[in-house]
Amino acid sequence: MGGIKGRLALVGLVILLFLLPSVLPRFYTYIIALIFVTALLAMSLNITVGYGGMFQFHHGVFYGVSAYTVALIITKTKLPAWVAFCAGPVAAAIAGLLIGGFCVRLTQLYFGMLQISLGSLLWAIVFRWYSLTGGDDGIHGIPMPDILSSLKNAYYFILIVLIVCLYLLYRIVNSPFGRTLQAIRDNPGRCEAVGVNVRRHQLAAIVIATFFAGVAGVLFVVLEGSVFPDLLFWVLSLEVFIMCLLGGWFTFAGPIVGAAIIVSLRTFVGMYTEYWTLILGAILILLIFFLPEGVMGFLMEKFAPRLKAHVVEERSRAQG
Amino acid sequence: MSVDLASVLTQLLVGLSRSMILFIVSAGMSFILGVLRVPNVAHGSLYMIGAFSAFSVYNYFGGGSTGFWLALLLAPFLVALVGFVAERALFCHLYQREHLMLLLFTFALMLILGDLVKIVWGPEYSSIMPPGGLKGSISIFGSAFPKYNLFLLVVGPLVAVFLWLFTNRTKVGKICRAAAVDREMVGALGINVSWIFAAAFVLGCYLAGIAGALVAPTVSITLGMDHDIIIEAFLIVTIGGLGNMWGALVGSLIFGITQALGVLFWPQFAIVFPYAAVVIVLLLRPRGLLKSVW
Amino acid sequence: MKHGGRGFGLASLIFIGALLVAFVSGALAGGKEIKVGIIDCYSGPPAVYAKDALNGFKLALKEINKKGVLGRKIVFTTRDTKFKVDIGLSMAKELVMREGVDVLVGTISSGVALAVSDFARKEKVPFIVWISKSERITGELGHRYVFCTSENTAMAGKAMAVGLSKKPYTKYWIAGDDYEYGHAIARAAWRNLQKMKPGVKKIGESWWKVGEPDLIPYLTAIMAAKPDAVIFCTGGKSMANILKAIKATGMAKKVAICIHTATDHAVLKALGPEAPEGVMGTMDYHFYFPETPENKAFVKAFKAAYGEPPGFPAFHGWNTAHFIAKAFEKAGTVNTEKFIDALEGLRIMSPVGEIEMRACDHQVVEPMFLGVTKKSPKYNFLIASDIVTLPGPEIMPSCEEIMALRAKAKK
Repeated sequence: MGGIKGRLALVGLVILLFLLPSVLPRFYTYIIALIFVTALLAMSLNITVGYGGMFQFHHGVFYGVSAYTVALIITKTKLPAWVAFCAGPVAAAIAGLLIGGFCVRLTQLYFGMLQISLGSLLWAIVFRWYSLTGGDDGIHGIPMPDILSSLKNAYYFILIVLIVCLYLLYRIVNSPFGRTLQAIRDNPGRCEAVGVNVRRHQLAAIVIATFFAGVAGVLFVVLEGSVFPDLLFWVLSLEVFIMCLLGGWFTFAGPIVGAAIIVSLRTFVGMYTEYWTLILGAILILLIFFLPEGVMGFLMEKFAPRLKAHVVEERSRAQG
Repeated sequence: MSVDLASVLTQLLVGLSRSMILFIVSAGMSFILGVLRVPNVAHGSLYMIGAFSAFSVYNYFGGGSTGFWLALLLAPFLVALVGFVAERALFCHLYQREHLMLLLFTFALMLILGDLVKIVWGPEYSSIMPPGGLKGSISIFGSAFPKYNLFLLVVGPLVAVFLWLFTNRTKVGKICRAAAVDREMVGALGINVSWIFAAAFVLGCYLAGIAGALVAPTVSITLGMDHDIIIEAFLIVTIGGLGNMWGALVGSLIFGITQALGVLFWPQFAIVFPYAAVVIVLLLRPRGLLKSVW
Repeated sequence: MKHGGRGFGLASLIFIGALLVAFVSGALAGGKEIKVGIIDCYSGPPAVYAKDALNGFKLALKEINKKGVLGRKIVFTTRDTKFKVDIGLSMAKELVMREGVDVLVGTISSGVALAVSDFARKEKVPFIVWISKSERITGELGHRYVFCTSENTAMAGKAMAVGLSKKPYTKYWIAGDDYEYGHAIARAAWRNLQKMKPGVKKIGESWWKVGEPDLIPYLTAIMAAKPDAVIFCTGGKSMANILKAIKATGMAKKVAICIHTATDHAVLKALGPEAPEGVMGTMDYHFYFPETPENKAFVKAFKAAYGEPPGFPAFHGWNTAHFIAKAFEKAGTVNTEKFIDALEGLRIMSPVGEIEMRACDHQVVEPMFLGVTKKSPKYNFLIASDIVTLPGPEIMPSCEEIMALRAKAKK
């Protein structure tokens, strides 16, 4: 198993990440921090998509709700920033509970389209409530507490929060709750028959996922100091979906890989051509045709075929 | 703000004419959704290509009235062609795969088409004019009402009739309806389901093209048209009942009228009116107002 | 799943790899050049303006680079903001942090301009705004590192009020794009109009999303309220749409309409015969007025280079290039703080006469023109007729007012 070698690699990686800001130019520190934030968002989505098998098509809404909550609390009230940081994920989870509550009554495509509808309503409100949210202009120059105001410190803060969240997510996914969720994904009928309350489980998964999306939203504000209505727009949600798929939605680290690839490509391709959207579309097509299991799936075939076969076998047994 | 009945009626008519465009787009999307069971995320892009193609055809034939009518005639075929190529070259190979892959393919198509339009037509916006007879406005209920919008009010029902005839009176149409309900049975009867899907997809694209060509004289033909319309089409199809074309009509009427009235009574939040209507419908009938085809 | 650890290893390898590739391919710092980073909207309707501004800038650079500035050439690179604030900000970040530009220039959306201005202040990079017009840019949210070579809403609002106060209209409706610029011009126009003609009444307001394609329902709703006059506060993205909708509903014949930049050539040219007649507009540049030798020379050179006459963005772009060049020359070195000191109070000769970059707020002082759209026998697009000129110093808010606004905003 991953075991000792895996853990050493992990520790080595973490140390490397902590050293990076001291050696890299500021722009790259910024991009890596952005990757961290996006990776957390993608990981949170995967709780519902990869582990829960749900068509969470508008995950971005929760990310945006949290970011705006933080922005509004800091700019419109005299409350300290730390209150805002805690309020963000809570607001996201509440939105997740409300929207998810309606969506779990349905399945598959209906679930997805209902979520897009409800999410778009939230987007429309944020987008048009100019006096509160600044509408299309967004909110800028959001002041951060002094410790976080430099790029380097923001990077460290984001990295630490990311590591903590990843650890929590790992524990959740491997807990009895997580296993039940995967069982529901593979065969909801059988679970229902064994007495599992499928709806409640799925709703719980949504609330957890949206809570962590909310944390990602807080980190976004820390890094950028701004919020925009596009955070709640459906295109971003679909992009995050692509990140999960690109990375490999059935592995734990898959979404991180997906997020890293998409953010890096978007930044660097954007410097040489204005047709980034075309390239993203082409990547997605290639993915669908040649790499449906994502990058991680492909790599696992090459380097850990036994592990992959084990995972695949487990799933097909469950699906019966 | 004090409004009189005349203004409300005028505004209703304006909303109705907008509903016609929404209906044509949503009907196309609903049709594809019904037969292929996939929401075509690229539908907005096809609509946009319809508008841009109309512009090109219009200019090719020297503008004016001939330009307009020829554009209205030819642009939808161009869009249908684009759809056909995309479907046969790539899409049809995915029919055996998971549902999600089909949806993602349409999303990828949207991304690619969006930039293709930019490459072919450039980033700036274009504009075409309504034909001679339809320029300007006439007085209805004492207010100015653009003649072209009146034209839209006539074309909308015509398209609806054409669609009804197609799905109920032609062989292909009836098979499409059958395939929407039970594709395995249709396949068992020896009909090539893949070609049926192609037909349905191409028809959907054709409708998107008509809508694009029709809307072209009233708006700036610009990049970003796809994003604007696709979310509205999604919502309309969801509240109408997935795959149900009459549901698309009902949804479009609700959407267009609530938005126009919203503009009259609360312009800043006009967009929230149709969204709120959508939410109310979905809370009461989560599967849409009319029965879904499946 | 137990393979989490190895997953992380693979994941890290991939993105370190991606970063290295990008790092290696990154831009090498320019040697002996002055780098200007331009962020603007090159997609959709605003692209007409952005292209015009870039052309004006390039035309000026051709001349300037013949001699060079302090022995160096001025080079530029552009980035597309797509009229979106988040994209504009990330482009600005990339230009400053990766490309290391000496000066940031742009943009058209006032929303983007404000966000980037905030960023420029933090990074201490000079940002010259050349099309965005919100008065907040150099007003209450102004600071040392932002300059504006465009007329702003305070100036336009005053000019509009001067024109409208002479007319008999009392019932006004105000409508426009729901973003920074729309609200800024609305506030400025109304505040000045009220001062100059206390009897005016605002009977309603409507705001639509930026770039709203279907404006007809909004216009029919406004006409239903029967105002005497309407002030439309539309920016780069909606200008073409609003003019088209006005023509389609025949609104200009029923209600008086005033729009800032309605008489601008860049948009009237694109619309051709579709543009409505009889719309009042304020503007800071027309290629056919005033007929000074500088303007004639500018128009001639522009036409020769780009095949058509310049609009106001080109005018601003040309001025910006000259401001940058002259400021560096005066500073004597490529140093940001000295550049800023030199730019304050600098005067250059523009196509409409001498203009000054006011030291107290970094706002350019230039004249405004009022006109009405009208068909012209000479051209196949509309032009402004009955032009009235308002000299710069008359329409600018005073330095004291600006400083007071900034102080209030900081609290």
